[in-house]
Amino acid sequence: MRIRAIAWNTFGLLLHNRVLLLIVVLFASWIFLMMTPLIMMRQITSASNAGRMQSEVLTLVSMVMGALSGFGSMLAAGCAAFAVAGEMKSGTILAVMARPVRRWEYLVGKFCGVQILLGVYVLGMLGLSFLLARIGGQHIHAPVWALIAYPLVRYAIYSAVAMLLVTFLNPFVSLGVVWMMAIGVEFMTPTEGIHLVPAWVRIPLYYLLPSTNLLSESRFLSITQTSLHQTTWLQHTVTLAYGLDYAAVWLLLALWSFRSKGLTRD
Amino acid sequence: MSEAVIQFCRVTKVYRRGFHGQEVAALSGVSFEVNAGEVCAFLGPNGAGKTTSISILMGFLFGDAGEIRVLGHPPGDVRAKKKIGFVPENFAFYKHMTATRLLEFHRELAGPAEGGRAPEISELLAQVKLDTFGKLKIGKFSRGMVQRLGIAQALLGDPQLLILDEPTSGLDPAGRKEIRELMLSLKAAGKTIFLSSHILSEIEQICDRVIIIDRGRLIRAGLFEEMRGRDSQVELVVDALPESAEQALRERGAEIAHGPQSVHVVVPAAQKRETAELLWTAGSDILQMNPKKTSLEELFLQLLEPDGGAR
Repeated sequence: MRIRAIAWNTFGLLLHNRVLLLIVVLFASWIFLMMTPLIMMRQITSASNAGRMQSEVLTLVSMVMGALSGFGSMLAAGCAAFAVAGEMKSGTILAVMARPVRRWEYLVGKFCGVQILLGVYVLGMLGLSFLLARIGGQHIHAPVWALIAYPLVRYAIYSAVAMLLVTFLNPFVSLGVVWMMAIGVEFMTPTEGIHLVPAWVRIPLYYLLPSTNLLSESRFLSITQTSLHQTTWLQHTVTLAYGLDYAAVWLLLALWSFRSKGLTRD
Repeated sequence: MSEAVIQFCRVTKVYRRGFHGQEVAALSGVSFEVNAGEVCAFLGPNGAGKTTSISILMGFLFGDAGEIRVLGHPPGDVRAKKKIGFVPENFAFYKHMTATRLLEFHRELAGPAEGGRAPEISELLAQVKLDTFGKLKIGKFSRGMVQRLGIAQALLGDPQLLILDEPTSGLDPAGRKEIRELMLSLKAAGKTIFLSSHILSEIEQICDRVIIIDRGRLIRAGLFEEMRGRDSQVELVVDALPESAEQALRERGAEIAHGPQSVHVVVPAAQKRETAELLWTAGSDILQMNPKKTSLEELFLQLLEPDGGAR
């Protein structure tokens, strides 16, 4: 009951956050600008250039979808970091924590509130992806539940990490660390080859950092039927369980760290 | 003897600031108790450690040493928090919410009231004179209205103990009077009130107990009537005072103030009989004779003056 109340309150707070709204509006404007070349490409498509146009449409659509997905990760980390830090800075946390609310309930409520917002974002992202593909004259062939579940789990990881970091760091620093982490994931591979990072750093970090590439919906999201990647239910289950487990560990660490944190502005 | 609702025993809190963790003592072995049904004024100059103490009581901060019990439980325990109403200093709010929605949110957090009917939201808003503003967004409220709303949310769930940090800040004199009357009605209903405020003239009309701290140290704690009565004085009002009598009284240490139609003579209570006799003999007509008690403000300033033991 209390967790639910805090979660919905957090969702409402995030929806009324002007900075967040501004960022989302700017991002959405950029996305809508990307639609213009898509519409143009569709109009100039003829029998002679159909193959080339389809390829360009697909590149553009996947670029927009990648940007949406990346923005979602930053949104997850930012919302989680500022959901707690913002209330501490404004002092609204004091009246809430004066109620019979346990610290873990507060933090779980905040986390759930961020997940509700991200759920709305994922649904919006999904709708936009289908719209873009349709404008480009293509169809998305992937299970819809997977396009919702995978990004949600990935965002849960980033928000749990940010929530832990913000219990002892400034929210901007926390956001920066999550950002570095998201970029770092791309370079930390255990395989042999030419790497910028030495193996003794790379391999431990590979195991420590979340395998968000594994949780990326783009692994099996295909726009054409021919390239559809088949994923078994077992693979889905294991991958999602891994992601949820990773998020849960970071969230538990955040709860542990938050239990001894001072809640005042001093 | 009443049961102690708040027990604050040898509490120490040190803040560590800056990169090198420079230590600043906010509280040094502060001890006090507040009994059930009392109105306790928690006083001290700015930076004395009042808000830190209240934050520790509420479980927002943790003391470095000492023992604290609130309603028989450690600070922050939900069993205690169910029975506490709290107004933080500079009550902050969710600007996008209406007053009614904010109280609904707090009611959801508070859960059902223990052993008694909790007041309805409309009743609470009426109690703090905000009943016509229930649907207005809090972002459009004045500072005083926000403060009233803070008090209304503290009264949700029919709490046994009210902890109020500067509850009348931002209120105009009429608003302060209303809040004072509200606190008196809560006191009459048997609630314990622990409040911090700088408006001493307001507090002295309702408080039973006074706790004064300065620079993180306890200066004085006790029942207000006992504290103000320690060096009690008597004020005699006479129609006129001959010069010879005035000189004699001044030699005995009396304080004399000439008004337009009367003269006020303040002497220690032990000297009231001989002073009255002296005035009669001198031909003065005694119009009034009243015990003159130290006001809270005088007491506060005396205790914090350099020779008052605080500094």
